[in-house]
Amino acid sequence: MRFESQYIVVVGCGRLGAYLANRLSEAGSSVVVIDVSPDAFRNLSVGFSGFHIEGDGTELGVLAQAKAEQADLLLATTRRDNVNLMVAQLAKSVLGVPRVIARVFDPQREESYRGLGVDTICSTIVAGQAFWERLSEAPKS
Amino acid sequence: MTMKSVLVVDDEKNIRQTLAQALIPMGLHVETAVNGEEALQKVRDAEFDLMLLDLKMPGVDGMEVLRSLSDVRPEIRIIIITAYGTVKNAVEAIKLGAVDFIEKPFSPREIRELVNSVLARDALEPSALHGYDAHIQWSKRCIQERRFPSAEEHVRKAIGLDASRAEAFNLLGALQELRGDGLGAAKSYRAAYALDPTYKPARMNLERISAIPRSSGTILLDGQEEL
Repeated sequence: MRFESQYIVVVGCGRLGAYLANRLSEAGSSVVVIDVSPDAFRNLSVGFSGFHIEGDGTELGVLAQAKAEQADLLLATTRRDNVNLMVAQLAKSVLGVPRVIARVFDPQREESYRGLGVDTICSTIVAGQAFWERLSEAPKS
Repeated sequence: MTMKSVLVVDDEKNIRQTLAQALIPMGLHVETAVNGEEALQKVRDAEFDLMLLDLKMPGVDGMEVLRSLSDVRPEIRIIIITAYGTVKNAVEAIKLGAVDFIEKPFSPREIRELVNSVLARDALEPSALHGYDAHIQWSKRCIQERRFPSAEEHVRKAIGLDASRAEAFNLLGALQELRGDGLGAAKSYRAAYALDPTYKPARMNLERISAIPRSSGTILLDGQEEL
């Protein structure tokens, strides 16, 4: 994916959201980060050149303020599965964002999210796989 | 064709960067200024076709820059950067020849489309105006050149061609207000509001012009900020 000139909305500015927002901004995307807590924006780096909006990303008014309907990509990265799902669904079905990815913690929910057409990344499974691979490596002595 | 030159004036680094990143690939020469003083200095030192101007800046603010420019360099095209799509005194901005606004946050596509349409306006021929958009663009060009009666004439033509656009009625309202026709302006703003209640400039203008006395301060709705 080319990042220059992409318009990207990131919902949730915790460690993951801020990490992605910082990287995307440095890669040349125009990034808007949304978080309910103004303190969360401290996670953004000095190199972050995007915008931030304080508000609840599950509210259409807040997503409209972020001009999410113009976004090329939306990432839902809060700590709450339900919030991420709701944001992702709004972005996809109501606002017509072409690409939406949601963070999921509960592996059992991932399947049902996919059924709703939401692209997901399950951090539990990703971490589990990393652990498993590490365990499979020959122990270093 | 010579390279068009743009001056981006904003005290926030991220806005200057975002705008420069969007404009440079369009083949524009981009310079930046961090405040009003620097902007006015740069305008004295070099030629610019277009200025993207933030209104809220410490020191010499955007409105003062507009006033100075209106005296010394009235031909520079202006795009005003706003926080919530509205400026407290849009009518004064129009009086100073600034009729284009862009609301933060903005996508690169949005910036390019607006900059293109503002720059393309200079190539318009008054003898070949067809359709709603052409009349609106010509009307805006007239405002840039402070030819307000012509601007009003063309916005009325645009409305004649398509009476369903809130933007046109709002623009008409501002022009009526500018020449002192408060009643007509209120009617136009109300028409704009009725056509599209989500169109914020019309709502703000209507509230302002109706001047209903409020018991305590300003009622703020839905994240709206009084500028």
